[in-house]
Amino acid sequence: MSDAHADQDWRAWFAEHGARLRLIARQWTRSEADADDVVQEAFVRFWKHQRHLPGNPNALVVTSIRRSALDLLRRSDRRAVREKVVGDDMETVSWFEPEADPRLQALADSLKLLPAEQREVVVLKVWGDLTFDQIGEQLSISPNTAASRWRYAMEALRKHITVRTYD
Amino acid sequence: MTDPDHDLEQALAALRPRAPSAALTARLARDLDASASRRGVIIAWSAGLATLAAVFAAAFAFLSFTAEPAAPAYRLVRADQSPADLQFFRPVQLVDGSFVRPVRVRWDDTTRWEDPRTNTRMINYRPHDQLALLNLETN
Repeated sequence: MSDAHADQDWRAWFAEHGARLRLIARQWTRSEADADDVVQEAFVRFWKHQRHLPGNPNALVVTSIRRSALDLLRRSDRRAVREKVVGDDMETVSWFEPEADPRLQALADSLKLLPAEQREVVVLKVWGDLTFDQIGEQLSISPNTAASRWRYAMEALRKHITVRTYD
Repeated sequence: MTDPDHDLEQALAALRPRAPSAALTARLARDLDASASRRGVIIAWSAGLATLAAVFAAAFAFLSFTAEPAAPAYRLVRADQSPADLQFFRPVQLVDGSFVRPVRVRWDDTTRWEDPRTNTRMINYRPHDQLALLNLETN
């Protein structure tokens, strides 16, 4: 990740990292629109107030996204009681750019089929670039639990893509 | 130790998350560019006000300096000298055998100065007290 501490233009930084930040936000939101809201709130907070803080800017921005997502979920839960909002479009919108390689496309499709607790570990490790220790801190689980979920996820993905490849 | 999931992790990393929409970038621009421009406006106003304050301070100092009243330009309007007050003493003989009479002379010089522009006046009073010896002829 390029250095967010430097006086860099936010557009350049977001152009480089925005896609994976949005993918991370999508793991903790119910819809694409919610993910956009979360990224907007989290990124603005990070850029205005946190990017000059010491430490890994990557972990900081992920923490900011997690916080915004949880806040939004709490607000949505209260609202849902009144309005019975249903907005989970997880199955309809692709999270990744289309891939020419069928194995990669199968992998992208399979990722969505993972249990949420395994999928978020995969996303945080691969696109969040976090260690198991950092993932444990983000999700309030032990590093061992994070590593265990990762192994289960890899096993499941391997099965999925094998099955899909031979379909 | 080899990681059995390494190839799968590499394949996952090759996936490209979908880019954020232009609408999201526009929303960020509204928040971040607006705050930056607001900050710019505040900085510009602060700098402007500071400059204005400095100009006022300099002008005040300059006007205070120039408004200082000029030194009075006195001119002599009157000069008086009092009549001398003479006091004669008994003759005395000096070491060379001659005789002299000590005389004490006292008078005052008074000058009056005025500055009509500021209507101020100055009186210079100088008293004088001198002792003289008058030679006496002796036969």
